[in-house]
Amino acid sequence: MEEYKRNNINILLEKTPSTPRYALNLFFKLSKKEKYYGVNSLLARLLLQGTKKYSAAQLALEFENECIDISTKAKQDYIKLSLVFLNEDFKKALELTKELILNSTFDDFEKEVYKIKGEIISDLDNPKLKLTDAFIKNLYKNHPYSSCHTKILDDIDKITKKDIIDAHDEILKSQKAVVLVGDFDNKDEILDCIQNEFQFMQNGSSENQIEDIFRADLEKDELVWLTKDDASQAQIIQGWIVDSFNSSMCAKIAVMNNILGSSGLSSRLFVNLRDKQGLAYTVRSQYETMLHSAVFSMYIGTAPKNIKKSLEGFELELKKMANEEISKKELKGAKENISGRLKYFTQNNSQIASMEGYNYIMGLGLEYNKLFLDDVSNVTSEDVNKVAKMLLEMPKLITIIAPDEYKISLDE
Amino acid sequence: MANIVKKEEIIYPYLEKPLSVYTFDNGHKAVLAYKKSPLVNISSWVKTGSINENSENNGVSHFVEHLLFKGTTKYPAGVFDRTMEENGGIINAATWKDYTFYYINIPKNHYKIALEMHADMIVDALFPEEEIGPKFNPSGEAPKEKRERYVVIEEIRMGEDNNWRKVYKNLNSIMYEQHPYKREVIGTKEIIANISQKEIYRYYKTFYVPSNITTIAVGEFDENEMIKLIQENFKFKDNSEIEKCKTDNQTPEYKIKNPKTTMDYADVNTGYLMMGALCASAKNLKETIALDLLSTILGDGKSSRLYLNLIENVNNPYYYQVESCHYQFKDGDNFFIEANFDADKKDIVVKELKEHLDNLSHITEQELKKAKKRAKVNFAQESELVGDIADAIGYWTTVCDDISLAHKYLSTLDEIDCEYLEQIAKKYLSSNLVSTSLLLPKGEK
Repeated sequence: MEEYKRNNINILLEKTPSTPRYALNLFFKLSKKEKYYGVNSLLARLLLQGTKKYSAAQLALEFENECIDISTKAKQDYIKLSLVFLNEDFKKALELTKELILNSTFDDFEKEVYKIKGEIISDLDNPKLKLTDAFIKNLYKNHPYSSCHTKILDDIDKITKKDIIDAHDEILKSQKAVVLVGDFDNKDEILDCIQNEFQFMQNGSSENQIEDIFRADLEKDELVWLTKDDASQAQIIQGWIVDSFNSSMCAKIAVMNNILGSSGLSSRLFVNLRDKQGLAYTVRSQYETMLHSAVFSMYIGTAPKNIKKSLEGFELELKKMANEEISKKELKGAKENISGRLKYFTQNNSQIASMEGYNYIMGLGLEYNKLFLDDVSNVTSEDVNKVAKMLLEMPKLITIIAPDEYKISLDE
Repeated sequence: MANIVKKEEIIYPYLEKPLSVYTFDNGHKAVLAYKKSPLVNISSWVKTGSINENSENNGVSHFVEHLLFKGTTKYPAGVFDRTMEENGGIINAATWKDYTFYYINIPKNHYKIALEMHADMIVDALFPEEEIGPKFNPSGEAPKEKRERYVVIEEIRMGEDNNWRKVYKNLNSIMYEQHPYKREVIGTKEIIANISQKEIYRYYKTFYVPSNITTIAVGEFDENEMIKLIQENFKFKDNSEIEKCKTDNQTPEYKIKNPKTTMDYADVNTGYLMMGALCASAKNLKETIALDLLSTILGDGKSSRLYLNLIENVNNPYYYQVESCHYQFKDGDNFFIEANFDADKKDIVVKELKEHLDNLSHITEQELKKAKKRAKVNFAQESELVGDIADAIGYWTTVCDDISLAHKYLSTLDEIDCEYLEQIAKKYLSSNLVSTSLLLPKGEK
């Protein structure tokens, strides 16, 4: 990946020979708390719902007639437009993207509010999504990262069209990046096109106003219970707020996570809770990093009568991780697995554009993946023990969805 | 060691080099595809799934898939998983109606060990009793030793909490008269809790035979070395003495004979619907492509008829999601409409969706043009990842039994016009040929 600055536009380019489709990503970094939960999500959706020139239906036809796949996404730290299209449609894709960013009318505001409410109600029919929603809401409390379905549902009727226009103005002032990955012949021509068509992507100077969180503000363990009497399975998420990629702990947590529950079929949670005890079909751990914070969590879907046993299993595996030496073989295997997964998730143009653009907009640089793997290679058994001990000492949040008759309390 | 009896080169859309297709004297096939990538994908596709099951062993194909990871003579349970993953690999398997497949994505410097262990697992699975776990009564007390039977039962339980899976299960069971496709691939708790090791092993010995298996490798590797590794490591055993498993009548059903509607209720806030039709065999290339195009026109994307007419161009839409999809099967494809909606509106929803099916008897040139471009781009998309290329080759070799159809797809696509699409729509997708499954909030009438 190469970085260019043209007329104050950050442009990242990577040539990938013999690929028929380009991937184009536009990143807008978020630096302020939303006025209401859901403003950024609505903005991202409304960017596809009509411009001065095209209605929403016409826009859909303009993109889909040419098979230009487009999506918009509002995440905790950025808004992203992602496009994938045949190489021959490059100029058309640029022209339509410019139209979306500069000329969106947001006239479908009320209709989109109506649609989003319906979709959230429908999503919350899914017990796993309902559980995740409760976990995030209770973990991050009032921090902007607590944005979730139920919070958006609470706030959405307070949002006005002006709030969306203000949020749109805000992202135009934000830090930005344009990422293009594909099989292009003439790099200079591509750069000229982006410079001329995407002047709105000039880098802004919005200063960050979101506070960093590196530790949970939980004072003691908390349990959030959601009743679903017709559920066949109990689903459990147990987690903590931990350090993110801007900390020296990141690689250590990543290795611990891999060994505990994210390497696949040979992770400790998988082998000990699924293979040996038959407690679950799905059991894993996860380490999700964001700019100001990260979440480490364990998940299991189990028979409701096995809730206690599953929580004991989580505790036991963490204790073993904290107190027993990690063999050289297991440690080396985890490092190889992390490296292999990175290759797996950066295979095609779309994946490369997404990952490299994210690293760049988060300020991590274009060498980040290599530096991260260097850090991973230096992680020791003691480092892994320390991470697990840290988790054991920190208050944890447990969220469970299951039939009421299986309800537990933390005293048990 | 098996000998090569045939080698063909097949041109495959969007790949730099033709595929090399090898046939061995025992019937085993191997397909090698070149793709520049840091990863190599190795997979074996077995032509068996719920199509070969009966009411006594329903779910055994999927259970076998789980148990293939539970050890061989050379490598005890867990060694394969650990070795692959500590070499940076991502492994898994899947079972469907016509096939079961096992795959590894691994950094290219490790493909030899991956191929060796993958072959060992396919040809020498042991199905140890202690890994299967004891039989038990699923509605009674769980046994102390739960093991893999219980893992699969947890998977069944997980599906029971998935609203779309409930709707699909109910629809699938009413679409067919007799064909084994009418059963759920995952089987039932009762069968999984009680099927014997002997029956499981017999199923494996019946269907995991060389003539039923295609091994696929995609990535950057030395082709001669790869084919030699396949020859040396796939040491199939002689299963001729085995008493073969019985299968049910597999007469294809290309249309629903008795369209029905089924309703179920759950603790949900919205309504869920699937409407389904039975169609031509996946091997019937022209008709299958026509169904792909009809699905794109009807319900793929925000410019599709369903989305535009039922969501985008409506002031207060009562649909939260509406789309169509087309799934290919050896004994007849499935065409579905899926809708999630305000449950109060269920009657009008069913009426509107049926009208949209009947309206497929009129297709415009613009719609055809858009759908054709989408079909071509889908091919380009499937050529991006080594895993996706392998999956597509697996489909052509297993479901269609003819990999050359991949090459014929684009030229056949060019032959299709609006009139042909309208004929296919009338033949398979008329509203009087579909069954409907609804899942509604408890208390909804």
